[in-house]
Amino acid sequence: MHDVSSPLGGGVNATARLAARRAFLRRISAAGAAAGMVPWTDILRASTRELRARGTACILLWMQGGPSQFETFSPKPGHANGGETEAIATSVPGIQIAEGFPQVARIMDNVAVVRSMTSREGSHPRATFLLHTGYLPTASVKHPTLGSVVVHQIGRSASELPGFVRIGGQDRTGAGLLGATFNPLVVDEAGSPPPNTQPATSRQRFVRRLDLLGQLAEDAPSASGGRRQRAEHQELYSRASRMILSPKMNAFDLDAEPDAMRDAYGRHPFGSACLLARRLVEAGVSCVEVVLRGWDTHQDNFDRTRKLADAVDRPTAQLIGDLKQRGMLDRTLVVWMGEFGRTPRINPRGGRDHFPRAFNVALSGAGIGGGRVVGKTDAGGTTITDRPVGVADLFRTIYTALGIDPDHENMSPIGRPIKIVDGGEPIQELLS
Amino acid sequence: MSRIEHATATRKGMISQMDSFYSSVGRVVFAITVCASVVSRPDSVSDRIMAADAITDVADRVHALWEQERAAEAEKSLATMADDETFLRRASLDLVGHLPTPDELAAFLLDPAPDKRAELVRRLLDDPRFGANWARYWRDVIMYRRLEDRAMVVSPALEAFLRQQLNNGTSWSAVAEQCITASGDVRENGATALFVAQDGRTEESTAEVARIFLGIQIQCAQCHDHVTDRWTRQQFHELAAFFTRIALRPKKTAEGRSFEVIGNDKPRQRRRPANAARRGSLEHYMPDLEHPDRPGTLMQPVFFLTSEKLPLGASDAQRRATLARWITGNPWFSRAFVNRVWAELIGEGFCEPVDDLGPDHQPQAPQAMEYLAAAFAAADHDIKWLYEVVMATPAYQRAAGVVPSDQTEKQDALASCCWQRLRADQLFDALNAAVGDSGQATPARRRGKAARAYRRSPRFRFGQVFGYDPSGDRQEVGGTIPQALAMMNAPQIDRLIQSRRSAWSAVLDELPDDRAVIEELYLRCLARQPGPAEVRTCMNYVKEVGERREALEDIMWALINSAEFLYRK
Repeated sequence: MHDVSSPLGGGVNATARLAARRAFLRRISAAGAAAGMVPWTDILRASTRELRARGTACILLWMQGGPSQFETFSPKPGHANGGETEAIATSVPGIQIAEGFPQVARIMDNVAVVRSMTSREGSHPRATFLLHTGYLPTASVKHPTLGSVVVHQIGRSASELPGFVRIGGQDRTGAGLLGATFNPLVVDEAGSPPPNTQPATSRQRFVRRLDLLGQLAEDAPSASGGRRQRAEHQELYSRASRMILSPKMNAFDLDAEPDAMRDAYGRHPFGSACLLARRLVEAGVSCVEVVLRGWDTHQDNFDRTRKLADAVDRPTAQLIGDLKQRGMLDRTLVVWMGEFGRTPRINPRGGRDHFPRAFNVALSGAGIGGGRVVGKTDAGGTTITDRPVGVADLFRTIYTALGIDPDHENMSPIGRPIKIVDGGEPIQELLS
Repeated sequence: MSRIEHATATRKGMISQMDSFYSSVGRVVFAITVCASVVSRPDSVSDRIMAADAITDVADRVHALWEQERAAEAEKSLATMADDETFLRRASLDLVGHLPTPDELAAFLLDPAPDKRAELVRRLLDDPRFGANWARYWRDVIMYRRLEDRAMVVSPALEAFLRQQLNNGTSWSAVAEQCITASGDVRENGATALFVAQDGRTEESTAEVARIFLGIQIQCAQCHDHVTDRWTRQQFHELAAFFTRIALRPKKTAEGRSFEVIGNDKPRQRRRPANAARRGSLEHYMPDLEHPDRPGTLMQPVFFLTSEKLPLGASDAQRRATLARWITGNPWFSRAFVNRVWAELIGEGFCEPVDDLGPDHQPQAPQAMEYLAAAFAAADHDIKWLYEVVMATPAYQRAAGVVPSDQTEKQDALASCCWQRLRADQLFDALNAAVGDSGQATPARRRGKAARAYRRSPRFRFGQVFGYDPSGDRQEVGGTIPQALAMMNAPQIDRLIQSRRSAWSAVLDELPDDRAVIEELYLRCLARQPGPAEVRTCMNYVKEVGERREALEDIMWALINSAEFLYRK
């Protein structure tokens, strides 16, 4: 990351940068005068973070079930473990990926692949939790999911849109200890508005009802207490109704896109979800998670991953290309991952089983160096031979790229400080 | 105005209102029936009335201590007593989880008995909905901390188990003992829920037992000696040794997938897989933090609060039965329960969060808490007794936050009962009572599909949106955006409002007078009569809109979306 060497680097123009810094310094010096002293270097580092955080967003393409590394970004053609999957060349000499991803191959110079992800968790729910939060599930502390951390740290509270949208159904990770405010708004499928965001009646009647609600709140006998709760309720309802009535909610309407753009993303659920993700980020949403199920290929691995790759390849490449073309890629991090990888050994049903020991993830944007590969496995893909990357390392990398301090501490309900990421080292090779 | 004067005034108002009601005759008859039933009380009630004096004594003593410790600290005057309308709604929601019906409200206001509040509390405690309501509360306490969703398979059985225990008047110590020692098919024995929720994992189960039954968060000591509490890592793992033989075994039956909790006294020796923790092992080892690959240190089962211990080699049944006895006999056990009930009823626990009592945290009003905990233990952990005591205190009976407006919210909280957001089940029932018909929205279960039917029931789905962890910080339990969106726009709720067959719709048809309908809607939704300003606003609204049905639907919509509807005050 540019933090230390060039504290005010990055893609912001000089005038805006200086104005922002002046404003920032005024604030921090007032705080510093009150608190004692703030070291100069900390101020610079903090201001960099603040600048970068402006407009920064994250899109998580979540491959539920555990995508096979062999059939995605770490093919092993020529080895029995590689099966029938061939490797293809990419726009970056020396980097080959699986044959199912020709479109991604063409934009490989924007994509970094980590081939040496490793964890010890091979059960779907636990690993899903781990790869969403950086922690294993516990009863006492509910760790927040990636998107919730992003909104909590760099979300725009003034926005009428939700800060964190999850497309493609529920899973159990949410805001946890950060509080329900930071939970995702869940959309079952791209193309329809989020549940209950359309008035049940005509718009006009809805507005009339809101007025009545407000008037009756004023008329209610104040002697029955609950001042704080009434105020919170009013605030909540005004936020929710602003959302319902906001023209920005058009971001959820894919029909507003030209036909050519819809075709470019593909007119199927995952393609539409990627397009929606781009529209939402453009409209100010800080994190969008797109869930694609079906990667749990215990049987018929090759047929099934071929179909999955078909569904994933074009939208993913289109998303990254589209973001780049709109000048959004340098502040939008795209993360492609699932909860673990799959066994090198092909089982008798032509499937691959759970394999957390060595799997892959792909990253693009937000200053991540594209066209790079981190880590290696041996010829059969069973053992990491170079640069193992743990889950904490990955999360440290993701948050650093997003301008979020991974050492920031949130308080658990019983007053125990919990770091956003516990331990680990960022992958420096990708951050410079 | 004194309480009696107030009640009289309200009653007069009520009766004059009721003259205009189509149902006034029926309602008075109902009221008389209810009043009469007070005279011929069932045995279980009269038994407890024998002990009523004792209950009043304990309540007075607790309250004197509490007031002395809390009010003195805040240097302020206390709120006045809540009126009967408020008290009835509060007590009904708190005990049975339902709004009082307009008929019940009329009967209660008309009842001239000076001890009608205590009588109401006793009657509600004998209502089977008491067990249902608090079974759901404790289901949430346990299940919100589940590690995986598949644990939900135990939920219906857990609810049934707790409902039965609570309605039967089983003591809290007996409930806890059954939970700690439970085994068997998790769909048949709901007492296994705690272990199911923790996936049978030794350390996680240990932490939950301590949290729920002792109010002690010892799990921080799992990895390191705790900085603020005094328990050590070794003490945590010695406690874990009581649970080390528990295994959660998948089970396939004709009815689908299930699990059973077993005490695995002869586990097969095998290579330790990653999830060995849920398969049980003969003895527990404290991991070596420096060398995670080594087996660690063998732990003897020792109960950290008393240092009582069992020998290595003790069977699972021995370990758990012994520990259950030690836990339920310990003062922390009484404190933890008393703190929860006080917190849920008064709106602020002696200790917050409710499941983190210490040992090194200073409770608010420590003497009141100690006294109440000791009295609860002396009453053999009689759950209903404790509700009667707390609800007899002036702290419970005061109006919520009727204090001069310059006082801070923190001070309001201690002055009186404070506003609490309804739990999902309470809100679900309140909605059904206000706009729905019977409240029996759960479809009949088909054989073999019980678990699926449970998860597809409207109540369960409602809980997915409106539920919250009852052990969480109660200051934080405000509403969420998806909840506000659902209350305002959900088609299911809108259908209820629009339905011409619902009970509220019948009111609309039968009462030609708009004012009477508006009053009825307030009674149904908020269990109170509207004030003059509210009546004026509603009457004007009906006039402005012009379309009667539409305007009254809007008023109904506004009432169920009001803060007052969503909270118990």
